[in-house]
Amino acid sequence: MEKLERREVILMAGGAVAGAAVGTVFSGAPFLGLQWLVEWTQDQHVPAPGEESYLQGKCLLCPSACPISVRMIGNRAVKVETANNGCYRPQLAIQMLYHPERLKSPLKRAGKKGSGKFAPVSWEEAIKDIAAKIDELRSGGKAAEIAAINGAGAFASAEVLKRLVKSAGSPNVYSEPCYSSLSAAASGLTQGQSASIYYDFENADFILSFGARLVEGWGGDPGRMNRAFVDWKRRGARYVQIDTVCTRSASAADRWVPLNAGTETVLALGIANQLIAMGRRSAGANFAQWSQIVINDYTPERVAEITGVGVDAIKEIAAEFARARNPIAVAGRGASAVSSSSVEFAAIQALNSMVGSLGRRGGVMLADYSGLGDVALNAQAAKGLDDFIKNGSAGLLFINDANPVHRSVYGKTLADKMKKDGMVVALMPLLNDSAAYADYVLPTISSIEGEPIEARFKSMHPVDALLSIAGAVKGLENALPWKSFKDVYPLIGRLNLRGAGNFAFPVGLLKDYLAGFAKKIGDKKYPLALVPVEAPMVGDGDGMALPYVLKGLDGLTLTGSKLWVMMNPDTAKQEGVSEGSRIDIESSRGEIGSVKVHITKTVAPGAVAIPLGFGHEFYTKYAGDKGVNAKEIMSDDIDPISGAADWWFTRVKIS
Amino acid sequence: MKNVIEWIKNEWNSYSKNMRIALAVLFGLVALFGIFAIQILFWGLGYTDMNNNFAMGIWIIGDLGLVALGGGAFFTGFFLYILRVDKLEPLINSTVLLGFMCYLFTFILLVFDIGQPLRAWFGYSYPNWGPGLMPQSMLTEVVWCLTFYFLVLCVELIPIPLKHKIVDKIPFFHYFGHYLHKLMWIMAAVGTFLSFFHQGSLGGGMWGVLYAKPGWFRPHYFFLAIVAATAGGTSFMMLIPKIAGRIMKKEVAPKESFMTLARISGVMFVFYLIFRGYDLYSLFNTYAPLADRSYADILGGYYGWWVVIGELLLCLVPIVIFNVKKLREQEKLHFAGLVSGVAAISLSKVEAVLHGFSVPNFSWKGFTAYNPTVQEWFIFLGSLACMTLIYMAFARFFPLFPHLEKGGHGEGEATA
Amino acid sequence: MSGHVAPKKKVSDMKRLWGMAIDLDKCTGCGACQVACSQENNMPIFDDDSDLPKRVVFLDLMKVTNDNDRDAKFGDVKVAYLPKMCMQCAGNDPDDPQPPCVSVCPVVATDVGDDGVVSQIWSRCIGCRYCQASCPYEARVFNWWKPRYEGSFKEGLNPDVSIASRGTVVKCTFCSHIWKRERDRLIAKGVTDINAVQYTPACVAACPTGAMVFGDLKDPQSPVYEEKLKRDPRAVRLVHSIDALRDTNPAEYERRTKIKNYPNPKVWYLTSDQWLREKLSGFKKS
Repeated sequence: MEKLERREVILMAGGAVAGAAVGTVFSGAPFLGLQWLVEWTQDQHVPAPGEESYLQGKCLLCPSACPISVRMIGNRAVKVETANNGCYRPQLAIQMLYHPERLKSPLKRAGKKGSGKFAPVSWEEAIKDIAAKIDELRSGGKAAEIAAINGAGAFASAEVLKRLVKSAGSPNVYSEPCYSSLSAAASGLTQGQSASIYYDFENADFILSFGARLVEGWGGDPGRMNRAFVDWKRRGARYVQIDTVCTRSASAADRWVPLNAGTETVLALGIANQLIAMGRRSAGANFAQWSQIVINDYTPERVAEITGVGVDAIKEIAAEFARARNPIAVAGRGASAVSSSSVEFAAIQALNSMVGSLGRRGGVMLADYSGLGDVALNAQAAKGLDDFIKNGSAGLLFINDANPVHRSVYGKTLADKMKKDGMVVALMPLLNDSAAYADYVLPTISSIEGEPIEARFKSMHPVDALLSIAGAVKGLENALPWKSFKDVYPLIGRLNLRGAGNFAFPVGLLKDYLAGFAKKIGDKKYPLALVPVEAPMVGDGDGMALPYVLKGLDGLTLTGSKLWVMMNPDTAKQEGVSEGSRIDIESSRGEIGSVKVHITKTVAPGAVAIPLGFGHEFYTKYAGDKGVNAKEIMSDDIDPISGAADWWFTRVKIS
Repeated sequence: MKNVIEWIKNEWNSYSKNMRIALAVLFGLVALFGIFAIQILFWGLGYTDMNNNFAMGIWIIGDLGLVALGGGAFFTGFFLYILRVDKLEPLINSTVLLGFMCYLFTFILLVFDIGQPLRAWFGYSYPNWGPGLMPQSMLTEVVWCLTFYFLVLCVELIPIPLKHKIVDKIPFFHYFGHYLHKLMWIMAAVGTFLSFFHQGSLGGGMWGVLYAKPGWFRPHYFFLAIVAATAGGTSFMMLIPKIAGRIMKKEVAPKESFMTLARISGVMFVFYLIFRGYDLYSLFNTYAPLADRSYADILGGYYGWWVVIGELLLCLVPIVIFNVKKLREQEKLHFAGLVSGVAAISLSKVEAVLHGFSVPNFSWKGFTAYNPTVQEWFIFLGSLACMTLIYMAFARFFPLFPHLEKGGHGEGEATA
Repeated sequence: MSGHVAPKKKVSDMKRLWGMAIDLDKCTGCGACQVACSQENNMPIFDDDSDLPKRVVFLDLMKVTNDNDRDAKFGDVKVAYLPKMCMQCAGNDPDDPQPPCVSVCPVVATDVGDDGVVSQIWSRCIGCRYCQASCPYEARVFNWWKPRYEGSFKEGLNPDVSIASRGTVVKCTFCSHIWKRERDRLIAKGVTDINAVQYTPACVAACPTGAMVFGDLKDPQSPVYEEKLKRDPRAVRLVHSIDALRDTNPAEYERRTKIKNYPNPKVWYLTSDQWLREKLSGFKKS
């Protein structure tokens, strides 16, 4: 072998290095390396694979109980599918199911009340303590100090809690004001039966809605309303929406009748005036006195002046309403959150009565849902939740899937009382503004847990949790004989319809109401009217914990942490604000701010429309620091019949 | 090491007070550039004010501006090497350096601007070449042209540092530089050709092909950008040496060099103004109506009318000054013409990007605004500061202005 | 260095041409489509998802109103909610479908599929956002931040949709992974004609009022048969008012459909409201 020169060795080595370098580049290895680098620096999560399967179940969020199918990957639920018949809520179930702030075990208060500091405890300990408190109150003769607040959406657990508290000897079971509780109070007034007003939307052909935002989650059963809405389109039923703001319902309606804030009752009287002029009468008691007021004081001209609805429009609507085969006039202003006075319900129900829609198919009936049976008690409860918060007190308060601190206009009062009063027990899947004041927070399941998905962590169906508590109390063993929520569901929620009964016009209350109303709109110190609207899926605030709900907000509802309110250009000009101005809103109760102004002709002059459900103080980090809670300054006049505050419209000024 | 520190100290002490302040500011900007660069590269573009509606911002404006102004290098080179306008010789070193830096920093800003800088090489490995000869995506064309032209500029730039009196003594470097320089006319030709293309592609073609966007879509936009670059770029190639000369208080190049380039620039501005006029006319009468819009729908908002009118007015200044011998020979007016010309072309790029994104896509939406964040500003300004420092270093340590070394009216063979 | 020299995809060769029709008269703006889309497509979850201009969401629930019109009066104005996703533009030339975004991508991260759907490869995208600039429908979104899924939110992620990196552009693909899922299911059952398989995207499946329908634009049996939609006086497509010219000015209609700047979207909106048709389709002041 020939001896290699040094020079040759260097050349060969150099050549090899160069060749290797070129080869490496052309092999693509450096690029692959870069690709790995890309992936490594991104550190991206890869969803775990697994076998696909579908679990069948029912959405238990409302009485409609739509069938759902849950797509599973291994033991993870990844998607809820419905068969085109429900509402948006089942779609949010996965977000709720896997919410990182879900309560992992029962919590016991560790700090001051309201500080939101808790320590985990076992179910046994929590139940023992709560049961002991019930025993203590009962044996001390203070059974009536036990109270319960049920959320508007809780229905099975609400029935069980009602039975638990009443069996323990307290009448103080309240529901957060909602359509069914308010209308039940109103029908108690006008028809002598405390059952909620049931509109036969499926068969009506003319729907005149007085601010009831029918397709925005109204009535607690959005699935039913969605189906009815599609059906109206198909059948050609006419949907007229009377509203201060051009909401989604007003747009979906065949006609939007804009009116001044809070004047729905007056408009109903104006339409009644026209019906009387057309010869329509009601067989109800006291109709003569009622019609005297209507005929003398609520001529179309006067009503037009108050409501801002033109005389022609009033006549037109009245004529259409009278002409229709199955007309219904719908009361209950609002969407997820409803606020109407009992007199307003009566004034609108009067229209149904005058066209003979009461108690017939395609008209208006009364409905109640089967429950677990009432317990007769001598003690007298407050009229309603707000009345209870204002005037009552509790040694033991249950808050079941409710958030009265955020949702009630008396939220601050309740918070103060909870700080001072006895024990507070909250049942809910996520800590909310009200639970922050609790002594015990019991973790309950989300809507698709229990069935078909297994419950996460140590959370329990609220019915099971309440049954366990009842089982630990001496003397309540037989009052709640069921084993689990599966035994309770078949017993409840069945709809019973009945005719409307005899209608009685509450003339005295009407006079009081109209006097108060005249005073309210005559308030010169607060020249504007604050009215609520609801953003899609946010509703009355529950949706704010779910990030995908926040992804649905448009840029004129919330930007950054600032909430937008809407105002008519005329109002804005008069108040000297422009698009995007920051304002504070002040009512006789206080001030909220700051909010930004969006100027739009979709709002009546003189009104400020503010979205509800924002401004949580304690409701997961996703809802934190977003907007303000309008309820803090909203009107707190308590309705004498329903005991709920009539917060729909509030006199305010802006600065 | 000690020597280096000593040398830096001496160098620093040799500067005037004003120069020291200027250097401190520039180095400060570069330092902030470094800090914010880390933030953007490691944690993403969320820190910018760009959003899904305003997808590009100040960095792209910078890119367009730098490429258009840097494009003056190719045009000057074209006149010198191809058309043999030898009077431009004393300016060519500075021109090449400016061109080089403009392209280098275009790349740097582009790397910040893309969301995945580590995937930047995808442009070479998976180019969207399309079925035809020309790349289908204008951005593919931009990447490739920019790369090639950047390489050409490197070759053009290398002889300048090689001319440094220490380096020049080494025979290898001397001959290397010499032969490179002999190749220069080929480089100039290739550079002109490439620059011609990507001028169009980055400056205009990139926007003109967005056929669904009424604010941009104009088939001739490509050519408009080329004319803009020839007009604004040549002004820029005079403006920077002028400023350098004022700071150094020396005549960095003979007056006739400037006057020759000013005449060229003046003529190109006339072309530009006419072309731009046609461009606006066709936008209002052909392209906006095709998308159901009127000129009011296109030219409203925060960056609409005033930018366009400002641009046209600024264009008039160099047109008047550069084309009238009496005016352009007055030092102050000449300088004003240069500044206005560069500003006009920069403003046209502001209009293209800022206003283009501001135009609403939907009839129920309004014009949007964009307000660059601190990070965007400092990366942008820091890049400009880097460029200034490099230019200053070249002027200080390398024969950037051969005219100075000759100490007189050196011509022709000055850098040969 | 392989350039992209794909054969032209003719619309006539496509076995399926997916399209969508959204009846805005039936839409209540409830948001089910948007949530279903986010859940199906693994939308990232940030602390503040109300951050609108940087929000990552394939289906945007837009509020449309005519109240910024000069002659609009209180009482006459209306609002509508508009579920807006990628329009899957077909371009003006059926022999060479070119959506505005596909030709501009420098790295072939986006392309037209055999079913007319505009795909996007997350892992190829370099994040230049040129496609965002080219899109007249604001359908493409950019991951300004690294996509996050805090804690147990990761449990709900769909393995069929890969999670994008920070700094890439993502978009709606008509849930084409569901089509693949459906086809795989049938292949497992021994069915060979996989193109006969139909599917429903998540948003359409979730619509409570049946306002959204989905199908094959070329199939006369489908609810979105294109020839039928073209004759529907309620039908309108976003941004371009060309469809309105069909009856009033057929010659101009023909000319407009031939010129280049017509994206020819595959999502149709149906509404009987004249104001809404005008708002959606163009800038003409009424």
